[in-house]
Amino acid sequence: MKGIFSVLVENRDGVLSQISGLFARRGFNIDSLVVGTTEQKDVSSMTIVSTGDQRTIDQIEKHLNKKPDVIKVRRLDESKSISLEMMLIKVGCTQANRGSLIEICTVMGGKIMHVTPRAMMIEVHGTPETIEDFIEMVRSYGIIELQRTGTISLGRT
Amino acid sequence: MNGAEALVKCLELEGISTVFGYPGVAIAPFYDAMARSSIRHILVRQEQAAGHAANGYARISRQTQVCVTSSGPGATNLITALATAYADSIPLVAITGQVDSHLVGRDVFQEADIRGATESFVKYSYLVKNVDEIPHIVKEAFYIASTGRKGPVLIDIPHDIQLKEMGKAFAYPESVEMRGYKPNHKINAQQMSKVIEAIRKAKKPLICAGGGVILGHGEPEIREFVEKNRIPLVSTIMGIGVLPKSHPMYFGMLGNNGKPYANRAVMNSDLLIIVGARIADRAVPKPETLEKTVSVIHIDIDSAEIGKVLGPTLPLVGDVKEIFAMLNKEEFPQTDDNWIGSLEQIKHSTVDQRHWSENLVNPMLLVQMLSEKMDKDAIYVADVGQNQLWSADNYVMQEGRFLTSGGMGTMGYSIPAAFGAKIGAPDKQVVAVCGDGSFQMSMYELGTIAVNKVPVKILVMKNGYLGLVREHQEKVFESRYSGVALYDYPYYDKIAEAYDMGYFRCSSNEALPDELEKFLHYDGAAIMVCDIDASNNVI
Repeated sequence: MKGIFSVLVENRDGVLSQISGLFARRGFNIDSLVVGTTEQKDVSSMTIVSTGDQRTIDQIEKHLNKKPDVIKVRRLDESKSISLEMMLIKVGCTQANRGSLIEICTVMGGKIMHVTPRAMMIEVHGTPETIEDFIEMVRSYGIIELQRTGTISLGRT
Repeated sequence: MNGAEALVKCLELEGISTVFGYPGVAIAPFYDAMARSSIRHILVRQEQAAGHAANGYARISRQTQVCVTSSGPGATNLITALATAYADSIPLVAITGQVDSHLVGRDVFQEADIRGATESFVKYSYLVKNVDEIPHIVKEAFYIASTGRKGPVLIDIPHDIQLKEMGKAFAYPESVEMRGYKPNHKINAQQMSKVIEAIRKAKKPLICAGGGVILGHGEPEIREFVEKNRIPLVSTIMGIGVLPKSHPMYFGMLGNNGKPYANRAVMNSDLLIIVGARIADRAVPKPETLEKTVSVIHIDIDSAEIGKVLGPTLPLVGDVKEIFAMLNKEEFPQTDDNWIGSLEQIKHSTVDQRHWSENLVNPMLLVQMLSEKMDKDAIYVADVGQNQLWSADNYVMQEGRFLTSGGMGTMGYSIPAAFGAKIGAPDKQVVAVCGDGSFQMSMYELGTIAVNKVPVKILVMKNGYLGLVREHQEKVFESRYSGVALYDYPYYDKIAEAYDMGYFRCSSNEALPDELEKFLHYDGAAIMVCDIDASNNVI
């Protein structure tokens, strides 16, 4: 199962390493980890997405809570939260198939950021699934490189 | 007042009277300030021993204790002691000197990233960046070490910060408030009533007491609970001492190296109440079998322990003393006499199948006889190896304490932990029991014992081997012994003489009673070597 954790932490040196170290040490998976500042300058926010069985996901929550620098852990339910991710992807294309690639972008909400004779850079944002779908759609064109931001999530309430 | 003086002042205000340590340039300002304070410093011979000594002291005083080292290798030498304390949840504050702030990160002489290196072995750590933060940091460090699930906290303090004058007047905080650390769990009333209900319904309840009971000082409450409701109790190695061995409700230590009847009790029970125990592999080798046959109540101060190893349980998070004080106010039906009777029957019908060599000293007999001759409230410190398992299995607990490195299994623990314990409880008899391997791992600490005239007794079970590994190689690798022979060195009489210690040696069961008497009554520190036949195995 998937576990999405929205974690508020003290904005202090070494906190990210404490958290990532915890996951490494206990063999917990990190699918994505995003860190950023919040409206309070001494508080940072992390969104951590992990997969594992129920016991593992429960343990992750408990171990996060044990860290003195962790202020609050919220486990987000996919159906009761909004998750977003952004991607920059560079896809190979030629004059012959550029039109069909533009069509995919139009249909799936990809924004064309840069075009060269042999490639196109596209920005996509949406749910992690949207991003996955987009990658599948353009795979046959030849993906030159891509970068994803990782998921950020907030509970609806 | 400079940073070093502030740090020393904070320790005084925390009630610290003795610290164990080893100086170096990076911690020199602290040592200078400490020399002008009320704090006694015990110079160890290697930094690891400072950590173990503070560990022994903390366990006996039931308070947070302090060890101090310099930067780089001084600090890295401490890592094993921190890991040992972390595994057994022992409250320590470790202070390490660090190179000057502006040099941190440049790989200068004796610089080590000790915070990074100890990340997984401490409850929390600090690198002091501002001299004015010292009082707050020390207060927090002691608070974190001593509350919730206890453990070691590290304060890494650069040399220049120690020398820097404080920018404001020294004020030690009365209390600390940490938004991310709330150790005092309010006991969940709903869970509590479920626990009460489960105990009421149980026909064959059994308590498994771990080290957390002793750390939380819950022994009196558990004892009252056990006696009032006639609920039998087994313990883990860290829980030895929760009940005296002679107690009618005590059914021994469980696990691989425990009493077979304790394990039978676990299997036959219908409700296992685990209190302050980690369900580690040596205590419960197959948790998946256990969770199928027995329903489990898991009581721990650390919610992350619940569900870590064992599947669905009835969890109750909180302080053991508080929980059992609450349970003692409840009425439970008296446990069925047949249940206790069946356990007694198993206990009395268990025949020890192990073969014991008739040669030299029988280690099982040795531990029994030693512990019976020791004072009622004596402190027994077992090292790691066969000596630890023979000790745990045969120690006749009365009203004393049994200390050992249960979680980490750190060889060389017993000698420094014993003198730490003795310094914490000068009126109590303290005996360290080790093998010839573990003795030599901390042999250098005899210097600390001699200089400080700490009258501890050290008993060495000498068989010329790293016995537990030898035993493993015998069983698993068809007696292909590899790297386990210690031969006849050192000459223990000469070692004892070199450190002005009493020396006793025993090579037969017949001579044992007299030699033990002389050893225990020797005025001052003493070593007793008991020759053990290497063919004696633990299992």
